[in-house]
Amino acid sequence: MEELKDKNIHQTTIKICEDLKNSSQYKSLFEDIQKLVATPSVKIEDFKSTLLKCMQENGLEAELKNNIYRWVKMKRKESSSYDSFFRKSQIHWDKRIHKSLNSMCSELGISLAKLRGNSEKEELLNKWNELSNFETDIHKYRPVYAPKDFLEVLLNLKGPKRDKSKCDNQRWEFAQLPLRVKNLSELRNLYLEISRGEQILNSNTMLSTNQNFVQLEAERILLGEKILMKNYAPLAQEYLKKGCPKCLRARIWALLLGAEIKSYQISYFDFLKQNVLQYDLMIDKLIIKDINLTASNDDQYFVFEDVLYQVMLCFSRDSEILKYLPNQPAFMQVAFKGKPNTPENTIVFPPSGVIPFHGFTMYAAPFCYLFNNSVELYFVFRAFYLRYWHRLHRVCASSQGIVSLCLQFERLLQCYEPNLWNHFKKCRIYPLRVVIKWIMRAFSGHLPPEQLLTLWDIILAYDSLEIIPLLAVVIVIFRKENLMKVNTLANVEAVLADLSSIAVVPLLQMALMKEEG
Amino acid sequence: MRVSYCTDLDKSVVVANCEKRGWVQVGPEEDWNIYWAGTQTCRSLFSVDSGYRMNDNQLINHFPNHYEISRKDLLVKNIKRYRRDLEKEGNIMAERGDSKYLHLDFIPVTFVLPADYNMFVEEYRKSPQSTWIMKPCGRSQGSGIFLINKLSKLKRWSRESKTPFQQQLNKESYVISKYIDNPLLIGGKKFDLRLYVLVTSFRPLKAYQFKLGFCRFCTVKYDSSVAELDNMYVHLTNVSVQKHGGEYNSLHGGKLSVQNLRLYLEGTRGKKVTETLFDQISWLIIHCLKAIAPVIATDRHCFECYGYDIIIDNKLKPWLIEVNASPSLTSTTANDRILKHKLLDNIFNIVVPPSGMPDVRWNKIPSSEALGDFELLIDEDLVNASENGENSSARNNSKWK
Ligand SMILES: Nc1ncnc2c1ncn2[C@@H]1O[C@H](COP(=O)(O)OP(=O)(O)O)[C@@H](O)[C@H]1O
Ligand SMILES: [Mg+2]
Repeated sequence: MEELKDKNIHQTTIKICEDLKNSSQYKSLFEDIQKLVATPSVKIEDFKSTLLKCMQENGLEAELKNNIYRWVKMKRKESSSYDSFFRKSQIHWDKRIHKSLNSMCSELGISLAKLRGNSEKEELLNKWNELSNFETDIHKYRPVYAPKDFLEVLLNLKGPKRDKSKCDNQRWEFAQLPLRVKNLSELRNLYLEISRGEQILNSNTMLSTNQNFVQLEAERILLGEKILMKNYAPLAQEYLKKGCPKCLRARIWALLLGAEIKSYQISYFDFLKQNVLQYDLMIDKLIIKDINLTASNDDQYFVFEDVLYQVMLCFSRDSEILKYLPNQPAFMQVAFKGKPNTPENTIVFPPSGVIPFHGFTMYAAPFCYLFNNSVELYFVFRAFYLRYWHRLHRVCASSQGIVSLCLQFERLLQCYEPNLWNHFKKCRIYPLRVVIKWIMRAFSGHLPPEQLLTLWDIILAYDSLEIIPLLAVVIVIFRKENLMKVNTLANVEAVLADLSSIAVVPLLQMALMKEEG
Repeated sequence: MRVSYCTDLDKSVVVANCEKRGWVQVGPEEDWNIYWAGTQTCRSLFSVDSGYRMNDNQLINHFPNHYEISRKDLLVKNIKRYRRDLEKEGNIMAERGDSKYLHLDFIPVTFVLPADYNMFVEEYRKSPQSTWIMKPCGRSQGSGIFLINKLSKLKRWSRESKTPFQQQLNKESYVISKYIDNPLLIGGKKFDLRLYVLVTSFRPLKAYQFKLGFCRFCTVKYDSSVAELDNMYVHLTNVSVQKHGGEYNSLHGGKLSVQNLRLYLEGTRGKKVTETLFDQISWLIIHCLKAIAPVIATDRHCFECYGYDIIIDNKLKPWLIEVNASPSLTSTTANDRILKHKLLDNIFNIVVPPSGMPDVRWNKIPSSEALGDFELLIDEDLVNASENGENSSARNNSKWK
């Protein structure tokens, strides 16, 4: 038994070492260690222990540990017997998206990919910091799909072994899908600090007593600074459970996610930029259109429009995303327009494998409140995407995937507000149709930025997206009285349209704390 | 007890707020309790020949000589006098270093033209590279403003305006101010702050700051080059100017909330500098009010809501640009409407005593619940009370004494 376990650990170690060697951080870490070895404090006679001691003193041990911690997070795999079913559904959906892209291309008489001419390249380069002034005609483009379309896809999932006899009603619910989701008491266990009603720093603390807030914030800042000094990612995660001061969030998040900027990241971002300059993809227009339809019109994000153009365009060129995504999406191979179909002229379309939907920009926009610099912003956004956001717009069996999250919303509502649920049912209003956009965008663009960042703190702190459907349910229940008074979809939407007064932490506490007695 | 109101402004936020309170609208000749008036109406009401005498249950939204703060030349004059007076007293607030006031240097160097022309030239010669901004003293909404980077341009302007025909037009005086050419930019664009301050009394001073101000962004990237000197879309943040630009977006109206500005600054620049900035803003608002307090004809029937225009430079220092006595109540966007609605609602909560009936005999100390989104900036009654040790009320949380 022991032997088996040892062997297992051994295998894992080999795997970690292999992956580490292939990672982008490896080179600089290895060089730093080499430099250390060359110093007199590392002794050949006692190589292992002196090296370890030195690494500890120089913070390289923390760095190495952080890498392993992040590796574990990335590799965390849940497998379910339905994986292949969901995988097939996703591929089917990917193909539909590709088809729709192709037909948009032929309708508009354009190609998926083409090399840019010199003058265009130059103009783009000159306007790199003010891409809102880069002239492109996008008025004929429309988003490939919106959250509502995606919900239709999800509702049409037949389920691997659905009972044929009771189908009609099923267009209503996710209940037929054989996925297991947490109930309220399991959620209480997961979000232990919130359920226990522990003091959590958040902007709404201010309302109660100003003095308390000032003191609590000062304490949190002191502790946060210590953790940043230690440079230890697992501590950063733990830290977030009690709330993050606004002034430390950028650094805490970067540490937790391993998104610190070194020379590699700077040159990689520049490489992505060169790719944007070099060739024109049809989805560039979709990206620009999406920013135009969302951030540019939003009084919380319009000032960041130009940063978002840079970041989103570079994202589309980032082939590492396709490489790191756990379930690779189906992708197309496309040759540049007018070039022979040889390997040099062919690219994966798009290199990131990600085709934006309406509102995709919102996955990145809130980071503008944390970073002035596009490179820093990019890598934190990308880390979030790779850890979380990709699951919100792709079909998968994961407990973190959109299907499970929808199901969880449904179960919680049904279970804790059966009256409201029945009211919706009677009026033939499907509540998920209203809240799907909140869930798919992780509330971005719906909650005010300060509340949103607090919510995202909680995602990182507990490394889970399950807080999103929970919050969605709580908001719906919170507005129950008004919802019971209306009976059309439009009116339900109106009751739930404005989230500007929502206070995330107090609402979640209300839902998760057990009543006294 | 019926409260009646009167207004000569056709502003839906005013009417909606009064109606919501169940107040009855009456004409100016009738018996009103609250008058929300334009500055002209107000001035003629207070003028000697109007012969109007208000009773104890009447309130009006302007002080008789509000122009002491809202006219650009008088504001500067009052602030300069205030600083001089403090200096004579030997007050440390008027301390100087390197000839500049250390704590009261919150308005750009300004002269009144034509009166102070010689003083201006002297200052101009000290740094001939600087850009200056010319503004007619009594106008608003960016009208008549232009930038100057050469003395010759000013000379040409004054020559042209001396022709007999123009003389008539240009009887108005101007202020010329040092142009803040290093404004803080976000997304490459210049912006200024519009903050609201309610004063319910000047002697003793009672003032409240509204937490929900906003930043007004230019629609075009900032560019300090000479070629863009005449491009008002680059330099003037007035919505009335920007909305004529091709880039104007009516969904957000170029307005970012002050809370979001604060979130951004704390997130990207840190807590200390952000806190200092906002403390300095409160500081300049209070000292600006103190500067005009001695000259305002104080009247118990009056209250006034001011719109402060403030520019933040790239070192995060705030500069007072001007104070409006009738800040725009027009809503440009949905959120703007919500904000202005709250503003009016909160103002009425503060100026009307708990009984619900306007009454000038009330001590004008609203409960903390009545403040809504206003924060107490200063109440000299409370300051005095706590200094006399009579009352160390918890409500006296003003940072500024
Ligand atoms: N000294 C200055 N430095 C930089 N910008 C200024 C300065 N003075 C005015 N401005 C800009 O011009 C705009 C209009 O000036 P302001 O004094 O407010 O006059 P108005 O009464 O016409 O609004 C301000 O909102 C600001 O954007
Ligand atoms: Mg102004």
